Amino acid sequence: MDNTTLWNACLTDVETQITKASFSTWFKNTYICTIEDGIVCVGVPNEFVKEWMFNKYQKMILKAIVERLDNIRGVNFVIRKHSVVEEKQKTIPPSIHQTPELPFRDIYINRDDNLNPRYTFDRFVVGPFNELAYAAAQAIIKRPQQAYNPLFIYGGSGLGKTHLIQAVGNEIKQLFPQKQVLYTTLEKFSNDYVISVQNNRQQQFRDKYRKYDVLIIDDIQFVSTKQSTQNELFHLFNTLYEQGKHIIFSSDKHPNHIIGIEDRLKTRFNAGMTIDVQEPDMESRLAIVREKSTQMSIPIPEETLSYIASSITGSIRELEGVLNIIGMHSEIKQKPVGLTEVKLLVKNSIKPKKIISIDAVVKLVSNYYNLDEQMIYEKTRRKEIVRARQIIMFILREDFNESYPAIGAKLGGKDHTTVIHSYEKIKNDLSTDPHLMKEIDDIRILFK
Amino acid sequence: MDIECTVEKIKNAVLLAERMTGKNLSLPILHSLFLSTTGKSIRIRSTNLAVGVDIEIPAQVKKEGEVSINGATLSNVFGNLEDDTVVVLRQEGEHLLLQTEHTKTIINTFPLEEFPTLPVVEGESFTIEAATFAEGIRSVYFCAATTEIKPEIASIFIYAEQQTLFFVATDSFRLAEKKIKIKGLSDISKILIPYKNSADLLRVLDSLSGEVVIMFNKNQLSLFGGGIYFTTRLIDGAFPDYRLILPKEEETKVVLIKQELLSTLRLSNVFSDKFSHVLFSVSPTIKKVLLSARNTDVGSNESSVDAVIEGEAIEVSFNLKYFIDVFQALQGDSVALLFTKVNKPILVKSVQDTSFLYLLVPTNR
Repeated sequence: MDNTTLWNACLTDVETQITKASFSTWFKNTYICTIEDGIVCVGVPNEFVKEWMFNKYQKMILKAIVERLDNIRGVNFVIRKHSVVEEKQKTIPPSIHQTPELPFRDIYINRDDNLNPRYTFDRFVVGPFNELAYAAAQAIIKRPQQAYNPLFIYGGSGLGKTHLIQAVGNEIKQLFPQKQVLYTTLEKFSNDYVISVQNNRQQQFRDKYRKYDVLIIDDIQFVSTKQSTQNELFHLFNTLYEQGKHIIFSSDKHPNHIIGIEDRLKTRFNAGMTIDVQEPDMESRLAIVREKSTQMSIPIPEETLSYIASSITGSIRELEGVLNIIGMHSEIKQKPVGLTEVKLLVKNSIKPKKIISIDAVVKLVSNYYNLDEQMIYEKTRRKEIVRARQIIMFILREDFNESYPAIGAKLGGKDHTTVIHSYEKIKNDLSTDPHLMKEIDDIRILFK
Repeated sequence: MDIECTVEKIKNAVLLAERMTGKNLSLPILHSLFLSTTGKSIRIRSTNLAVGVDIEIPAQVKKEGEVSINGATLSNVFGNLEDDTVVVLRQEGEHLLLQTEHTKTIINTFPLEEFPTLPVVEGESFTIEAATFAEGIRSVYFCAATTEIKPEIASIFIYAEQQTLFFVATDSFRLAEKKIKIKGLSDISKILIPYKNSADLLRVLDSLSGEVVIMFNKNQLSLFGGGIYFTTRLIDGAFPDYRLILPKEEETKVVLIKQELLSTLRLSNVFSDKFSHVLFSVSPTIKKVLLSARNTDVGSNESSVDAVIEGEAIEVSFNLKYFIDVFQALQGDSVALLFTKVNKPILVKSVQDTSFLYLLVPTNR
């Protein structure tokens, strides 16, 4: 018989001997803590209960226990609060690793400058995909307000733009404590502006933003729909720029491709340094996974790390998510997660390779070049159509791995050698023609 | 039981003890007061299982005895009796007869054996003036959190260091600390008195004069002096290490006349919004502190208070209610506000009295 059953049995005995009110007042939240050397130790919620139990009910309790258990000599009372909570906590031993930072990330944000001190260069993994951006950031830190002003960093979501620009802010703050740094998102900036207009405090708003030495604005692409924020941003930019203050932007697109922003802003964004952050390659992903797993102190074998790095392509944020899942599992199961389990865990995160039909490619590309889809299939040699057709062939071969004869057959019964020629031609042109490169990049984005 | 006593003496004891009867408990006996005699005195006991009190009053005892009786009834009876009359309490079977020159009252009693005893506390002890202890608690208790979720901050924290007794309370938006020097005070363990019981404790301390002996262990505290034995549950927990958050040095120091600041704050309170925001702008150039409050439904107000300012201009906004609260604990006629940075807590002190400090966290604008 365990302690809980024993105590419940005793309580039914006691309940019949005293009034219901007394029973519920005094015996609520009591339980048997230990039974040692014939002494039963009863946990009670407070001193009042302890005193009263001792004076009034000790004999009754002892009698009830002796009837059920031999070799009991006495009853003792101790004060134990929250017995239920304590016992629950006892059943969960201290976890093998702590991830306290995870859910409360926002708490660490410095309220003066909105910078999150967690974003530092120590934790920033540099690879071929972001080394240019990293180098520009380092140059700014060495010579703030001189090199690359403004710095405009763009790239897809979850590629470390925010990390990079916040790290610049943190580093400048550390090296030049007298400099005033502010990190903000365009959203916040815009809200701030709207509120200032509401309260008729525009002057305060302007003064506030103009006093900073380094201004970092994240996700600038959202300015596109906000006309008066654009205006305000334009003037703010001019003022800061004239005073030699440093400005850093991040966006998910090149400034020229942000639809709806005025040209005067576009040219200003382009005036300093515009750098893109690309998707990390396999080696960089591996380095990132390794770095993150040590940061989160999740022990993951090398084999598993490289599996994760090879199967999760694209955003670093997804890599982080997968690591969190793995960390969680190893914490719950109290042992490192094996490769087979990892495969199961990440299967939802792996993006299926997109299957796209040849027709769809044709449609997309002809739309991009403003051509009639039907023309591509026709036997015409008009220059603009031939060019589009070649690009289609190139993309089908390069990105979707179609066979040369299949491509030829689909695009109006061309010979496979024609297709090979087109492929080679575009490939050669790519190395010399930056416009073409840009066009193909844009088209590839459309496929995603 | 058969005793005789003046109304004045017994009345105060009954009113005090009645406060500590259990109001909402399932055990009806706790609604009552327990009266007993010991030689030449009568003792009145009550408890609600969080606090308990036992008061001894000298009386003429003709016949010993014990009785428990509804507290509310008894205190209502005594509340309406003249102070200087003599009252006789006599037990007659299941009833208590209460007789003065002009009135005769018969009150039903409860069965005796059910009334709980008060815990006797064994552990550390120290002696202190009742008024001093009350002052310490009264200076800080308004800051304590009222939440049940975090019992350790819903309490008053008392500890001793270098013959000084520290009283601290916080609800995480503000913090008050009172230091009281007590000669010969030895180091004692830390005490956490639940905020809910502090009002009862203050009531007991206010009814006492002279020294009281305080005994405590980690679960229970008791206080003895002037014929009153009082006991309260303690919180068994750790108070946050608040000294880490006290600002070390200030950037701007502002000294104002206490009464002027208080009346200006009360004026701003009329126009504060539902979050009770008030904006402090310290302006060293015009030697004034400007207070502005705005409520879109009511209107807005801007006032200034003359001040002696050392340091730079700063703008910080506060919760007015929290600011006004501190004035009940501030001694002296001028108050010093020590600012560090925007959005960093400020210190409020009395210029004359260094034993009290108040830390106030600004609100986000």
